[in-house]
Amino acid sequence: MTRVTNSMTARTVLADIQNVQAQLTETQNRLSSGKQLTKPSDDPFGTSRALLYRGELAANTQYQSNVNEATSWLNTTDTALGSISDDAARARDLLLQGANGSMSQTDKDAIADELDQLADSIKTAGNTQYAGSYIFSGAKTGTQPFTIGGTDAYAGDTSTINREIGQGVTVPVNVTGDTVVSPVLAAIRQAAIDLRAGGTPGNLGTTDLNALDAASDNISETRAIVGARQNRMASALSRLQQINVAQSQQLSNTEDADMAQTMIDFSTQSAVYQAALKAGANLIQPSLMNFLSS
Amino acid sequence: MSVSTFVGIETALRGLVAQQQALEITGHNITNANTAGYTREVANFSTTGALQVQPGSLLGTGVTVTGFQRVRDSFLDVQLRAQTMLQGSAQATEDNLGQVEGVINEPSDTGLNSLLGSYWSAWQNVANSPQDPATRQALVEAAKSLASGLNNTASQLSTIASQTAQDAGLTLQQVNADAQTLQSLNTAIYNAKAVGDTANDLLDQRDKLLDDMSQLGGVSVTDNADGTNNVTFDGVALVAGKTAYTLSESGGTLSNDMTTPQTATLTASMGKLGALVAQRDTTIPSYQSQLDAIANALATQTNTLNSAGYALDGTTGNAFFSGTTAATIAVVATSTKVAASATAGGVPGDNTNALTLADLQNQAIASLGGSTINGAYAKLVTTIGSDSQSAQRAVSNANVLVDSLTNRRDSVSGVSLDEEMTNLVKYQQGYQAASRALNSIDDALNILINRTGRVGL
Repeated sequence: MTRVTNSMTARTVLADIQNVQAQLTETQNRLSSGKQLTKPSDDPFGTSRALLYRGELAANTQYQSNVNEATSWLNTTDTALGSISDDAARARDLLLQGANGSMSQTDKDAIADELDQLADSIKTAGNTQYAGSYIFSGAKTGTQPFTIGGTDAYAGDTSTINREIGQGVTVPVNVTGDTVVSPVLAAIRQAAIDLRAGGTPGNLGTTDLNALDAASDNISETRAIVGARQNRMASALSRLQQINVAQSQQLSNTEDADMAQTMIDFSTQSAVYQAALKAGANLIQPSLMNFLSS
Repeated sequence: MSVSTFVGIETALRGLVAQQQALEITGHNITNANTAGYTREVANFSTTGALQVQPGSLLGTGVTVTGFQRVRDSFLDVQLRAQTMLQGSAQATEDNLGQVEGVINEPSDTGLNSLLGSYWSAWQNVANSPQDPATRQALVEAAKSLASGLNNTASQLSTIASQTAQDAGLTLQQVNADAQTLQSLNTAIYNAKAVGDTANDLLDQRDKLLDDMSQLGGVSVTDNADGTNNVTFDGVALVAGKTAYTLSESGGTLSNDMTTPQTATLTASMGKLGALVAQRDTTIPSYQSQLDAIANALATQTNTLNSAGYALDGTTGNAFFSGTTAATIAVVATSTKVAASATAGGVPGDNTNALTLADLQNQAIASLGGSTINGAYAKLVTTIGSDSQSAQRAVSNANVLVDSLTNRRDSVSGVSLDEEMTNLVKYQQGYQAASRALNSIDDALNILINRTGRVGL
């Protein structure tokens, strides 16, 4: 039979109470912080997962902001191309009027002047800025691509500007002025020159009209490309948002405490704690002394 | 041969004296029930020499206390001390790693992981608006936060490292001070033994001291015939009888100051001293070098890419960070030196290089063992977490084992108040009975002396 001494009883009771109390404190921490991971040693593997998810979430949030940025850029581009397209249509109407052989040279000169005005309007649209950047300038975003009232020379470059919308996924957002704006300008200027020179209806109605139509088609095609990119951005955004929800969920699963479970743990442990205290008090108190008559 | 008339009185007296001594030792036990390291004592009773009344017939002459014996099992001491050593090393490791975890402060919204996230995002923002000086300034600020986060973590780790070194020194001082105490206890015990005393309370003090020392390292004890003992600490002689040696430690090697010094290599499981030395020499330096590798990779890779590109002012070959360790990394680039562009001069909208830099986040880096920068950091955090977790488990295990062994030893050596109360009653009854025996002999003698020869009076 093991001999039981008072210090053994006291030590055992104390160790048990301390154990229960340590558990209770930990559960209470979880309850008050709402986290089951407060330091790496709580769950080293979980911590590394949590860091990974946090990193991915941060990157994902940034990709969403890249997509939003790119979408705004593309929307601005589309609006500018729309206005250029309208101007080109108006120029076509004027060209058809001018091609009518019955017009006097004065009328033709007036039409030519209006065409020049349209060219300036197109250049203004070509100088559209988004957040301080000239969107048709290529990478020379600080340089105005077209000079109003000057020559029609394109001052930008042919660089493509990319946005990263996912890990390693880049999408070009810009359209350069030399491919969409310059052909329209050239066609309109040529028409104006031909009108002022009293050009034959045949020349106006065929070569110039064809050039203008080709330039307009080019704008339409570019707008289709821009539209496709807008769609791509929209679907990328919705994909990123879905991933964001999934990642937040995973992060929460890893880091956050299961409140129901924790509450139940807490109640159980606090019941055990009280029982341990009561048992300890009853166990330590009496000895033979209480029962010996003096 | 007849015996003396008064033998009975002497016998009863011896009984009274013996029971009284037993009562006194019971009192000693009761009053020391809560004294740490106290070993309960029992009075050893034995019969005194018998008188030969007639051939073949011996008359007992009562009882005497031959000594007060400490009830102790030295085998349990050995087991307990071995386990206490493991407890000491686990406790010291856990304390230290707990501090390291506090420094790392992950997972959180303010730790290095989120600073890294902000840094990569800032490059993306530069890629979104490369012509905008404000986004470049924001990048420089994010990089500065990251650099100072690395600096802080490195300096807090160094503080822990130097505290650990200091603690190891203090622990060694404690061992040497304990050696002096052991030496003087040995001398006192030797002197007591020389005059035939058993110095039970001094022996308790010595055993208690050896128990306490086991927290600090591996204590091994050999008893000598003269009452003194020889003690080795982590395998190096510390006390030999009435001589104490002074221990010193350097680079994980423990040695004493004998003419031909004994040496031993400390390991992490050798008590508090071994654990602190291992933390100082191995564990913390490994965390520091991992953090340095991360800082170095960040600085080197960013610099390589940044100097390959062109800054807003058209210059190229600009460094972004200076320093190669976590403690020294700093941002040298100003917002105009952030190289977002891959083409020379005049194209503020070129974000090619900024995109490449932002993508550095996803690049496996050879100097980090093929991990990404974030991955290497997560690995460091996981390593610290696992180390700390296993230290915590070791502490719980050691606590349970030490408690259980202490209980086993207390089961042998501890004072049970119930038992002492029972003894108290037993010896009190014995004392009363002995005095009753004295009384009855006295009565008999009274009749013999005062009543005989008075016939007819």
